Amino acid sequence: MIRKTPLGVRILQYTFLVIAVIFALYPVWFAILASGRSGGRLYTLSLPGMFFPVEWSFDNFRFMLFERPYLTWLTNSFKVASITTIASLVICTSAAFALSRFRFKGREFFLIFLLAISTFPGILSLVAIAQVLTAIGLFGKHLGLILAFTSATLVFCTWNLKGYFDTIPIDLEEAAQIDGTTPVQAFFLIALPLARPALAVTAILAFMTGWGDFIFSSVLVPAPDSVKLAVPALYSLANSVSVPWGQFAAGAVIVVIPTVLVYLALNRYFEAGLTVGGVKG
Amino acid sequence: MNTWKGTRKSLTIFLFLFPTMLGILVFNVYPIVLNTYISFTNRNKFRPKPDCEVFLTGLLDPLCWPQFRENAQGGLGSPYRLAEPLFANYQTLLGKLFSAEALLALGKILLAFVPLIGAVYVNRRLDRQIDRPISGGMVWLIAILLVIGLGFVLSIRTAFDQLMNTGPFIVVVLRTILFVAIRVPLTFVFGLALALILNDTRLKGKTFFRVALFVPWGASSVAILMALVWQFFFRQQGTINQLLAQLGVEGPIWLQNPVSAFGVVVLADLWFSYPFFMVAILGALQSIPVELYEAAEVDGANWWVQLQRITLPLIRPAVLPATVLTSITAFQMFGTAYAITAGGPLAGADTPGATEFVMVYAYRQIYQLQNYGRATAFAVLIFIMLFLATLYSLRITRITKGAYES
Repeated sequence: MIRKTPLGVRILQYTFLVIAVIFALYPVWFAILASGRSGGRLYTLSLPGMFFPVEWSFDNFRFMLFERPYLTWLTNSFKVASITTIASLVICTSAAFALSRFRFKGREFFLIFLLAISTFPGILSLVAIAQVLTAIGLFGKHLGLILAFTSATLVFCTWNLKGYFDTIPIDLEEAAQIDGTTPVQAFFLIALPLARPALAVTAILAFMTGWGDFIFSSVLVPAPDSVKLAVPALYSLANSVSVPWGQFAAGAVIVVIPTVLVYLALNRYFEAGLTVGGVKG
Repeated sequence: MNTWKGTRKSLTIFLFLFPTMLGILVFNVYPIVLNTYISFTNRNKFRPKPDCEVFLTGLLDPLCWPQFRENAQGGLGSPYRLAEPLFANYQTLLGKLFSAEALLALGKILLAFVPLIGAVYVNRRLDRQIDRPISGGMVWLIAILLVIGLGFVLSIRTAFDQLMNTGPFIVVVLRTILFVAIRVPLTFVFGLALALILNDTRLKGKTFFRVALFVPWGASSVAILMALVWQFFFRQQGTINQLLAQLGVEGPIWLQNPVSAFGVVVLADLWFSYPFFMVAILGALQSIPVELYEAAEVDGANWWVQLQRITLPLIRPAVLPATVLTSITAFQMFGTAYAITAGGPLAGADTPGATEFVMVYAYRQIYQLQNYGRATAFAVLIFIMLFLATLYSLRITRITKGAYES
C-alpha cells in the first residue's frame, strides 16, 4: 500500500489543478461572455463582467444567424467537411486494407513514402494545387476544395487505419475464408466492424481538417460570400475595418462549442487511439 | 495469411491502393515537382504567367496543357523564366552563408554545443556502472557551464550576429527552432505535472479535471479562431491590461515588443498543445505496475527518486515518439502565430519579424508578396529538413517499439 498523500501536498495539487483549469477554460469562456454582450463590444470594463455573465442577450446570435449569410457559411462548411470525411474514409479504408492484409513488394516503401511526402509544407503545395484546380475548372468551387481536403487527409488516415487493422487478429478472417468467403468479403464483414473506434477517430480528424481549416479554404474558395466556409469567413470578419466583435464572438461560439463537445464525447477513443496508430497532435 | 496468390492478388492490391496513389500523385507529388521547378525560376508578382514555349514550363505547368489552355487567366504581367543564375532564389535565401566568415561563425556555434553532446555520451557511459560517481543532473550542469564558457571564449555573440546577417532563411529557421526548443519542453513539463496529479486514484473530482483540461484539444481544431481570442487578451486595451489596470499597473503593449510577442505566441500554443501530452503521458503512467513504487517505498526512495528512476524511464518509450512528432508539428506551426501577430512586430521591410516562423514566412512570401520563386526555394529547403526529421522520428519509433516487445 502506498502511503497517503500529505494534506499540504494535496492542497498544492488542487491549487495547481484549479489554475490549470482556469487557463484551459477561460479563453472559451471569454468568447461565450463576449457573444452575449450587447452592442458588439469585445471587452467590458467591469471586473465581475470579465468572469460572469452579468448582462446577457441573444442579439449577436440572432444577427449572425439571420442577418448575415452565416447559416450559408455553416452549411457550406458542414457539406464540404462531411463529403471530405466520407471520401477519405472510403479511400483510406481500402488502402489500409491492402496495406494491412497483404504482404507485397514495395509495401514498406509505400508506407514510408507516404510519410515522407506528407512533410512537404501544405501551405506551399497549395500554389500548385490552386493551379491544377484552375486548369480543370474547379478553382473557387466546393468540389475542388473537397478534392484538396481529401488528399490532405490521405496520409494520416491511411496510417491510422492501417495501424489499427494490424492489431485485429487475422484468424477470424481466415476462419471465414475456410467457410468460403473471399479475403475481401472476410475483411469487410468481420474486421471492419471491429475497427469502429479507429474509424470514429479517423472520421473526426478528417472532418476537422475541413471544418477547422483556414488556409486551404481561404485560398481555394476566396469569393463570393455564398460559397465561403465558416472559419475563413469569420476570420475575415474579424479583420474587417469596423469589427462587430460581439457578432464575431457569437459566430466563433457557434463553431467552437460543438467542436469541443464532439471531442469530449470521443475523449476515450482518442486515448485509445494514441496507443495504436499515433494520432496527430 | 490471405489465400490469394499471383495476378489475382496483385490486381486486388492495385485496385485498393489506386485511389490513394492517384490522390497522392496529383495533390502531393506533382505539387512538389512543380514547386521545385518554380524555385529555379524568377516567378513573382510581375511575372506570374507561364511561358509555354520553354520545354519544362510547357511540360509542368498545367495551364500550358492544351486541353486546359482556355482556363488560364489573362491579365497583365510577363511570363516567368529560368532564373539567372539558376540558384538565384537560393542565393537570396541563404545568401552569404557559404562565405568563409559565415561558415567559421557556424562552426564556432556548433563547437559551443559540443559539451551537450558530450554530456549525453558521458551519462550513457555512467548509466552502465552500478555506482554513479556523479549524478546525471551534475553532468548536465557541468556541460551547460562549459557551453557558456566556450561561448565567451569563441565570442559567440558576434558569430551569431554574423550568421543572422546571411539572409532570411537562417533567421527564420533559427527562430523557429528556438520556438520549438521553448515550447515543446514547456508543454512536456506542464503535461507531465498534470498527468502525475491526475494519475492519483484517490484524487477527488478527477473526471471533472480531466474533461476540463481536455477542452483546448477540441478547440485546437479551429485553432485560428481561438488564436484570435488569445490576441484579444494581449491587445493594448485587452483583458490582461485591464486586469493590470485594476491593480493600478499600466500594462505594456505586449504585441509590439519582440520578446513579449514571442512569449504570447508560446503561451497560446502551449494552450493548444498540452492536452495531447497530458493524455499521452497519462496513458503511459497507467501501464506502470504499482508494485514498482511499493518496492521503492520499502527501500526508502523519496518522491523525486521515484520520479527519476521509475516513472520517467518507464514512460519514455511511449512519450519519446510523441515528443518528436510534436516537435515536427510545432516547427510547422502556422495558425497561432499568424492570427496573433501575423509574424510581427516587424523590424524592417525585408527582414522577417520576431514571430515570423517558417510557415508564416512562407505564407507571407506567397500570398502577401507573391514572391513565388523565393517562397518555393524556401519550401524545398524546409522540405529537406523536415524529411530528415521524419526519417529520424521513424527510427526512434521503431527503437522504442522494440523496447515494448522485448
